[in-house]
Amino acid sequence: MPKKQPEEPFEPKGTIVVMAIFVVTLIVLWGSVYYILISRGVTL
Amino acid sequence: MTIATANYDLTPQEKKFVGWHLILAISALSVGSLFGPLQAFEHAGWDLYPYLQPVFKSYYQGLTIHGVLNALVWTTAFITGFLTLTTIRGLQRSLRYPKLNYTGFWVMVVGVLVTAVPLLANNASVLYTFYPPMKADWLFYVGLTLVVIGSWIEGYGFYFTMAAWRKEHPGETYPFIALASSVTMAMWQIATLGVAIEILTLLLPWAWGMVGGIDIQLARTYFWFTGHPLVYFWLLPAYLSWYAMLPKQAGGKLFSDSMARLVFWLFLLTSVPVGFHHQYVDPGVPDSWKFIHSILTYSVAFPSMLTAFTVIAGLEYAGRKRGGKGLFGWIKALPWDDPSVVSQLLAGILFFFGGIGGITNASYNVNLVIHNTAWVPGHFHLTVSSAATLSFMGITYWLVPYLTGRKLWKPKWALIQAWMWFIGMLIFSNAMHVLGLLGAPRRTPLGEAPYVPAEWNGHLLRVGIGGAILFVAVYLYIFIIAKTAFGGEKASESEQVTIPVAEPLHASPIPAWMDTFKPWLIGAVLLVVIAYAPVLIDLITHAVGSPGFRVW
Amino acid sequence: MTTKPIIEIDPYEKTWMRISLGLLVVFIIMVGVAGYALGFQLPASETRVNPQTVATDPNSPWSNPGLRELAPGKYEVYILAQIWLFNPREITVPVGSTVTFYVTSKDVQHGFKIQDTNINMQIIPGYVSTLTHVFDKPGEYPYICTEYCGSGHAAMFGKIIVEP
Ligand code: HEM
Ligand SMILES: [Cu+2]
Repeated sequence: MPKKQPEEPFEPKGTIVVMAIFVVTLIVLWGSVYYILISRGVTL
Repeated sequence: MTIATANYDLTPQEKKFVGWHLILAISALSVGSLFGPLQAFEHAGWDLYPYLQPVFKSYYQGLTIHGVLNALVWTTAFITGFLTLTTIRGLQRSLRYPKLNYTGFWVMVVGVLVTAVPLLANNASVLYTFYPPMKADWLFYVGLTLVVIGSWIEGYGFYFTMAAWRKEHPGETYPFIALASSVTMAMWQIATLGVAIEILTLLLPWAWGMVGGIDIQLARTYFWFTGHPLVYFWLLPAYLSWYAMLPKQAGGKLFSDSMARLVFWLFLLTSVPVGFHHQYVDPGVPDSWKFIHSILTYSVAFPSMLTAFTVIAGLEYAGRKRGGKGLFGWIKALPWDDPSVVSQLLAGILFFFGGIGGITNASYNVNLVIHNTAWVPGHFHLTVSSAATLSFMGITYWLVPYLTGRKLWKPKWALIQAWMWFIGMLIFSNAMHVLGLLGAPRRTPLGEAPYVPAEWNGHLLRVGIGGAILFVAVYLYIFIIAKTAFGGEKASESEQVTIPVAEPLHASPIPAWMDTFKPWLIGAVLLVVIAYAPVLIDLITHAVGSPGFRVW
Repeated sequence: MTTKPIIEIDPYEKTWMRISLGLLVVFIIMVGVAGYALGFQLPASETRVNPQTVATDPNSPWSNPGLRELAPGKYEVYILAQIWLFNPREITVPVGSTVTFYVTSKDVQHGFKIQDTNINMQIIPGYVSTLTHVFDKPGEYPYICTEYCGSGHAAMFGKIIVEP
């Protein structure tokens, strides 16, 4: 059985957009908890 | 390369063996999940515990049962069964020593039964982390140890089978799903050394009165040595399915075979030396080691981020093949009428937030904001209770028909079940995260806590509403599976389900270093020694003895 | 089978690898700076005590827990966690005070979290957890037990009163 078919050209454009949304969400949510940390004062 | 048959079938005996795992797993889930909603209702002010007297004595007894049965038994039993199937199907060969695997499974069953005795008698209401110096009935520790040993034995069975395959197929690359199964088991075996040492060298001698006191921080450190990689043990089988099965179910391919393999090797390498991120706010662990573990934890977040890309790209490929156009059209084109696919897609979406929460928890001093708050159960109900559990549910929507030769009972209801889990979990976990940020503690019946400010009430109510939806979702799931397995319509020859295994889109050759366990195992052990030895030596040489307490 | 020692990675995937690595590096720098330069520290004291005598030994500060003034506006407070209360249950300091907390347990593990501050510590018998907070705003700050410690856990709390 032949395994090596010609590779189909495929660019994961939608995936890139989804990952971009992920990055933005990550930065916003992570940043907001980091902000809470900073606003609650030092522990030193 | 050998091209094996696409429809390799398990023998009836093998199917039965996998089926027994599911029976154990789902039985655990059916008891353990009773308490989750009860806890959520308690938070909302609807306290049903008085009605459970005298069978279940307290919120905490219920919480222990919930944690042990759901997070430890449901997961471990499902995973060992599922990985048995993926090992056999991946290698297209029977287990080398099936009796060894049978033994492992039955040791696990005995372990669960032994654990259940003190749990149900309220003699081990110490929660699933069993932190000393709370002292449970020794049977509880013995039972848990047997569950772990049973899973080890099943793992040995996989390794022997892999080795046999290698001999029979010189020069070939391990099939991905079989490799991923054994990597998961190998990681688990390194990881569980911590809890094995904790129980055998500290808890049991102490529970038996052979030693008067044990060091509590040492016990915590051993526990979290296992406790964090435990979450990868839950996740990796779901990743396996997302990488190599889900794309096939959706009509696509595995986007990158080499990346999938690399990711599993990275998990073997970096899953374990990260436990101090559960002890960020503990005394007795030097600050520098906490920072080192936070860097290591970030390193283990990295393969998860790669997974997100590869899995989504595989789905995009599938969606485009189904005619999806444009940047988002492929999403709509996915088979949203297939409950197995939908469960896993929704699990993935919940994990999107679970992953973000995880990176937040791991972020060193940011942990001060959320440690031991309701945020934490909010977080891991997106990971173990969704990314893993909802995916496992989705897997059983094809697996149970496959094993039994029966049709899934009312796929429409299964679809509704998946969506209910998704919506219930969004409401529940969002509320828990917010409560945590406001300072609400976890492991606390907040309905009776005297310090709860009015500001929390709206969120507590949402916890109850989410819990109610989840309650229906989990028992609907169990009902559908039971109906399918025991009363489902026999599938005709043409309707028989096959095991979905996706072909790689990029089938690039795999270099030798990516197809051998040795360097990765050595690396993993070395990293563990470097990351733990100095602190462990310090804790052992400065140990302080604590006697045990029964405080429930 | 001879294969190249390097695996082939899709170019888009390579870009994603760089982005995710970069993001994680930025995060680790941000928490590192907050921790080591700005003073957002974790409790990491390695002091050990004997949990069985810590509450009774006259040389132990926890035999007489409570507030000590070190200098004007500077305090330390020794708190003993036990089933199911904090001793003391109430502490009063003037606004602007810098207070360092030393908390230990004489029985099981507890938690110690002061609401609206970054004080959040695991309390472990045999060990001393310590962190400092500056109380800039007057008001009541409950401190609650955040670790399961037995049947009375949900009622285990105390409060700091910051007077104007
Ligand atoms: C049926 C839906 C579920 C609901 C409504 C639910 C609800 C809850 C709630 C409210 C808590 C927090 C209790 C507290 O901190 O006081 C909790 C804890 C927990 N849940 Fe669930 N849960 C569900 C399903 C699951 C599943 C499927 C798993 C695992 C596979 C799971 C694992 C856990 C664990 C490990 C804890 C922590 C126990 C501890 O703190 O000792 N839950 N659950
Ligand atoms: Cu307490």
